[in-house]
Formats: sequence, structure tokens, C-alpha cells
Amino acid sequence: MLRFMALAFFSLIMILFFSGCTDFDEPNQLAFVLGTAIDRADNGEMEISHQVVITSQAPSKGGSFGGSNHFIILSAKGKDIYEAQQKIQRETSRRLMMNHRILIAISEEYFNQNDVRKIFDKLGRDPANNLRDIIVLIKGASAKQFLKMKHPMEPLSSIGEDKKMQTNAIRNFSSRTLIIETLSEGTRSMLPVIQIKPSKKGSNLMSTNTIVSKYAVLDKQLKVKGIVDDVEGAKVGWMSGNETVQGITIPWKDGIGYLSFRLNHLKRRIHAVRVEESKQIIMSVKAQAYLLENTTQLNLSEVDNMIVIQNYMNKQLEKEMQQTVDKVQNWGADVFGIGEYLHRKYPYWWKSKKEDWDQHFKEMDVKVQVNIELKSIGMIGKL
Amino acid sequence: MRLISSSLQENEASLREQLANCSDLVIRSFTLKDESLLLLVYLDGMTKLQSVEDNLLKPLIFSGLPHGIARIQTLTEMIKHEWLPLSNVKTDESLEDLIQHILQGNLAILVDGEASAIIAGVQEFEKRGIEEPKKESTLRGAKEGFVENLRTNTSLIRRRIIHPQLKMESYTIGKYTQTGVVLAYMQGIADEKVLADVRGKLDEIDVDGVIESSYLEEWLENTSFSMFPQIMNTERPDIVAASLLEGKIALITNGTPFVLILPITFWSGLQSADDYFERFVFVVCMRAIRYLMAFIAFSLPAIYVALSTFHSEMVPVNLMLGIATARESAPFPTVIEMLLMMVIFDGLQEAGVHLPNQLGPIISIIGALIIGQAAVEAGIISTPIIIVISLTGVAAYTIPKYSATLPFRMIRYILLLISSLLGFVGFTFGIIFLLINLVMLESFGTPYMSPVAPFDGTRIKDMIIRYPFWMKNGRNKKVRS
Repeated sequence: MLRFMALAFFSLIMILFFSGCTDFDEPNQLAFVLGTAIDRADNGEMEISHQVVITSQAPSKGGSFGGSNHFIILSAKGKDIYEAQQKIQRETSRRLMMNHRILIAISEEYFNQNDVRKIFDKLGRDPANNLRDIIVLIKGASAKQFLKMKHPMEPLSSIGEDKKMQTNAIRNFSSRTLIIETLSEGTRSMLPVIQIKPSKKGSNLMSTNTIVSKYAVLDKQLKVKGIVDDVEGAKVGWMSGNETVQGITIPWKDGIGYLSFRLNHLKRRIHAVRVEESKQIIMSVKAQAYLLENTTQLNLSEVDNMIVIQNYMNKQLEKEMQQTVDKVQNWGADVFGIGEYLHRKYPYWWKSKKEDWDQHFKEMDVKVQVNIELKSIGMIGKL
Repeated sequence: MRLISSSLQENEASLREQLANCSDLVIRSFTLKDESLLLLVYLDGMTKLQSVEDNLLKPLIFSGLPHGIARIQTLTEMIKHEWLPLSNVKTDESLEDLIQHILQGNLAILVDGEASAIIAGVQEFEKRGIEEPKKESTLRGAKEGFVENLRTNTSLIRRRIIHPQLKMESYTIGKYTQTGVVLAYMQGIADEKVLADVRGKLDEIDVDGVIESSYLEEWLENTSFSMFPQIMNTERPDIVAASLLEGKIALITNGTPFVLILPITFWSGLQSADDYFERFVFVVCMRAIRYLMAFIAFSLPAIYVALSTFHSEMVPVNLMLGIATARESAPFPTVIEMLLMMVIFDGLQEAGVHLPNQLGPIISIIGALIIGQAAVEAGIISTPIIIVISLTGVAAYTIPKYSATLPFRMIRYILLLISSLLGFVGFTFGIIFLLINLVMLESFGTPYMSPVAPFDGTRIKDMIIRYPFWMKNGRNKKVRS
């Protein structure tokens, strides 16, 4: 036993010696990259910008990280991501730490003029990426510009954008989902878009005046086919199986009053019968609604009115969503994942269609059915 | 073996020779009415003189040897006819035994012309009263703790188990100390193999002295070089009684309040007497916290170092940025910083143990103010390290048995060193090594990790979850699984 232990201890020491004791990184040898911007540069090159947190300016004793001036942007140009990154690394005193990245911003210009799928090769191949970072498309300014902007509440613009999405239950826009969607045949991707409006005073503070959120619908080649606003985008999200709609406001018949609801338990189901002949797809969405605001003349303590409202809401929403579906269908980008559904349900039929699914998708007859249950009218009937 | 001679002068001379330079020895001679010579030998301060005077000296001096139906000729006859009003009286012929009895505090009476001595058990010496055990206090349950006196301690156990199957075998160990050791067990419940093993080992012990029960512990243990104790010690008679009923064996040593219990398992050290005194639902929760804390106690420094220097991607962004900001100005690598603080913490702890009570607060002031605050403000030690070290220190104190915390305090260093060189690979390696060691270890035939490995469905009912007493399906007949 004693000999065994001595031997074990000796071999342990040996392992430690041979492994080399220097492959650890102290936190003060690391530069934490929280945001990355990809822009187009001249000669077909790309410009990579890293938003790096400065941890060395300790704000208070033992304190945590905070403050508005605690980041720098490091950027370099290169033929691919790795080359640009190496250029940045050579000029930086600390090792770039990509694992904590929150956001990748890609400018619209780059999207339009390059094959974006090449970017995701690096993201998917390099194990140093955590794939939890969200990917956004920047419109109206360069992506680098977005990283430079200051957020009024959060220390970094990327943290602000990430928190905004989390608070509003906008999920499924991580680079991981994007890569999965790119690899699958029967579904197309949607990306959050941040439109930056040029501000008058030249201030680069983020606010509702300078930032507008939208969604870009991409095709198989990850080209932007069209852009929908955030209300429509949320509905598309609902119809593609993500719970993104949190509330809706619909005008009442008379055009004067409005009704606002909070929605939860969002569900959607795709249904197809004999798709070979009819090409008809039924997209049924379900939810539970809670009335939050009522500026119409209706007295909701009467049950009849509740039923009227519920039916009206279903009809109204059906109309709006059908419009959205038609719009997206025109672009030929199946962000709903209908192709995936058909792939599973009609595998043989799908084989012949999958090659140019975008074209076939345009020809499908997608009908929206809305079934919302009004759960509560709130605490008062009528004011 | 020398025998007592019939000549009183000769006996006195040999006693004085053997016990020369013993200033506490008292030898007193009397001449009775009928002119028989009497010699009283005892050690001052260890004998209850009052009862000797009342029961022996007075009748002998004032009325001489009694005359009854027939004349009593010898002292031996006196005892035979139960004339001496003392409860514990016997005669002895061997000189060595006589000296031994005198040294133990008994009174020896020698008579001229008789080759035997009367030994009267009239020991009495100053001793501490029964107090609440300070190290193992509980919120509920008996407030009695063991004392230094062997007989008091056996009586504390006897009072709890009133049954003839409670056996107490006596041993005398130590060439010079002649320490009394009592082997207590429940006959029929305790494992005979373990008993035979312990008896054999007790007979083999060859030491000059047994000052504390720890002396026996090291003689009895099978795997001496293990970090983990294979014998538990306790000051609480209720724990001993409960252990005896579980089939364990207790060793009570004269001169120390710490009673040894064997065999034990890894989990014994993590169980407290309060676990059996409080409501079991609460106990289940407390045990979960205690086990978690025990894990923290040996692993947190290693996990922190591995996380912050090898796997910073595993730490949430904001926490990592917080750690990075706090560590910016730190002059040493995280490992060195951690080692430094661990050594300081253990040093403080060691100082606290040795410090007299009046000086105790000084240590906490030095520890809290100078090391805690000043070191952080000077930027030598970073705040997260202080948090980790304090949490580790506190966690170690949730382990009820002090002796069970000691291996954790050592493993802490080993794990830290491996993790600082290999990250979580090293940490896992260390844990696996530790588990192999624990699974291989045995305490008197009981696997150390039982009832987990090997699994025992009945006994596991008292491990993580303490089942209520009525659900535990009867007594555990055997300790061995």
C-alpha cells in the first residue's frame, strides 16, 4: 500500500512536470470580448471589430464591473475572420477571450455583398466559440458604429441588446440556432435587425429615437429577402413556433376604441392534408388572452360581449397574420419551418421538392387559423 | 514474584526500599491491646482516610481484635468472618501486587507474623464533576459529558443501557501508567470477529504509557497512513450508548473524557447527535446542507482556481468580469494567492486553538482587520479569494466531528495544487484518486464508504435521509454489511 501510494504520488508529480505548468490564463491576462462587428472593407476584405471590456480601470475597491467608459473597440481588416483576429491579437497586450461574447453584429452592407455562410463556418468549426451569442444585422450604419454606441442603462451596447431580447422573450436568435437552420433543408432563418437612425446632434447614445428593431427574413443563401417590423416579426416568430408575441392591440369595429391583450401559452400547429394535390397548408395558432386595456364602449361584464370580443379578435388577428404570411411567402423564404413539417410528413414528396423549396413554398396555399381564448377581462367591466 | 514475609520489619524494609523517595507514602505502625503489631501503608491524598479511621482504626485500637464465639487469630480470618465494615476488602500474598494496590490509592494493612496483607479499596481523589461537553454541544439531548475518571464514565453508559448484555471487559495498558481501559459492547449485537480483533490488538499493545485515548487509536488502526480516521471519538455518553446499540464497540480509557468508538464509516463524522433529536424532516434538509458544505470544505479553492484560470468560459459573463476586475491589481497568480490565504487561515486557526481564552479576540481582530481588510485594500489579495477562503473555512465547521474535518483540510491543499496545474482535469483526477482511496479503506472490516459502496439498502436509511425511527426496519444486527 505504502509503495503504491509513493508510486502514485511520484507519477502524479511527473504528470504535472511533463504537462507544463504554464497553460493557464490569469483573468488579468485576458481581454474579454463581449461584442464583435463584421463590416465590409475594400478589396473584398472584411473588417472585424471587437468590443473589449476594460477590466483594469477598477471602478471601486473590490468592486464589480460597471460604468460607461469601460470598453474599447479593437479592429483590423483581413481576408477572413481568423486573419483579422490575428492582426488584432498581435497588437493587443492580452489574449482575446471569445467565449464570453454576447453578440455578433453584421452590417447590412456585408450581408448584401458577401456570402455570409462563410462567416458561420468559423463560428461552427472553432470550438472556442460558445455559440450562445446572438447575431444581429445592423442597418443604417456600420456594425462597428453600433458597437461604439453607448447604452444609457447598460455598460455596453451589446449587453443592452442582449438584455432587451431576453426581457421581451425574443429567443432563438443565437448563432447556434442560425447554424442549425442553415444546415436544415426545410426552414429559413430570421435575424433581428437594428436600424440606426442618424442622430441630429451627433450623439451616439442609444435610445428609442436612434434605434429601431426589425426582423430580416433570409433565404437559403442567407441573403436578405425582406424586412418586417417588430410587430409583424413577433407574429412571424409565433407562427414559427417561438413564443415572441407578448401583447396585441386591435382596433374595434367603430374605429374609435381599441382593445389590448396580453397573450400567453402561445402555440402553433401546422397541418396539411393531401398536400400533393391541394398544396394546402393550415397554420393554426392558439393562445390565451387577458384583456388589459379597453377604450371601447363595450361593457365586458356581460358574457355576450366577451364572446363577441373573442370572435372579433380571432377574425382580426387571422386577417393580420394572413397578410404577414402572404408577405413572407412572396419572398419565398420559409421561416415558419413548413418545409420541415412536410419533410417529416411526406418524405417522398419532399424529396422531389427540396431542391428548390423556396420556389415551391411560394406556390403553397397557407391558411392561418387563429383560436384565442379570452381568459380574463380584468377587474372591472366598464369604466 | 516476591511474597510477603511473615516478619513485619522485613516487609516494612522492602516496602521502603521499593517506594524510596516517594514523599507521599505514609507508613504507620500500631500496637494493639494484645500487643500484636500492625502496619498501615497508603499514599497521601489518594485514600479516604475518614472511613479508614471510623471503620478500622477505632475498633482495632479501642477494642483490639474482636472476641466472638471463637477467638479470631488472624486478620485473614477477620475478613472471612466479615468483621471489617468496608465493602471492598481482600487479602494478597504477593509483594508486587501489594505495591501496585498501594500506588492505586488502596490501603494496605500488614500484621506481624502473617504472610499476607489486607487490601482495602478506599481510593478517593479529587476529580472533575460531570459537565456539558463543550466540543459536542447539542441543542437537545443530555447535557452530561464524560469525565476523566474511568468508573464515572462506565457508570454514565450503564445508566443508559440497563441490560445484562452490556459487557465491559477490563484491560490494563501501559508499562508505567497502568492505565485502565474498558472494552464495552453489547453481546449478541456486536460483531464477534471485530471483538476478537480488538481484544487481540489490546493484548499486543506495548507502550510505556497511555496518556490519552489517541494513543490507543494509533495502535488499533489497520491503515495507519490514511488521512481518514478509522476510529471515532466522542465526549457524549448518549452517542456511545446509541453506537453500542448499533453494534459498535466502545473503548473507555482512564484519564480522558474521550471515548473511542469503532468501527466507523466515512459518514459517521458527518452525523451529529442532534440529527436524532430533531424532527426528521428538518434533519434531512440540514444534512443536505451539511453534505454540500462538506464538499465545499475540501473543493471550493480548487474549483475557484480551475474556473478562473482554466475555464473562464464556464463562469457567467458578469461574474467573470467581476472577478477579472477584482483581480486586476493582484501581484500574484491566483494559485499563489489562494495558497497564501489558506496557509494564513490555517495558521490563524492553529493560533486560535492554542491561545488562552482571554487572548482569543486578538486573533479575530488580526484576522478580520489586518488580513481581511488591509490586504484587500492594499491590492495584495483579491476579494473573491477572501470570500472563497472564508466560505471554505465556515464550511469545514459544519462538520460535527472535529477529527473528521482534518482530512478535508489536507485534501484541500492537494486538490488545489492539482487543479492549479491541470484545471478540471486535475480536479477530477484528484477526486477519483480520493474515491479510490476511500473505497479501499476499511475500518475493522467495515468498508469505509458503506452503505454507499458497497450499497446497503437498509443502512442507507440513516445516511443522507434519516428515516423516522419506526421506518428503519428494526435494529442493525451487524455493523459489517
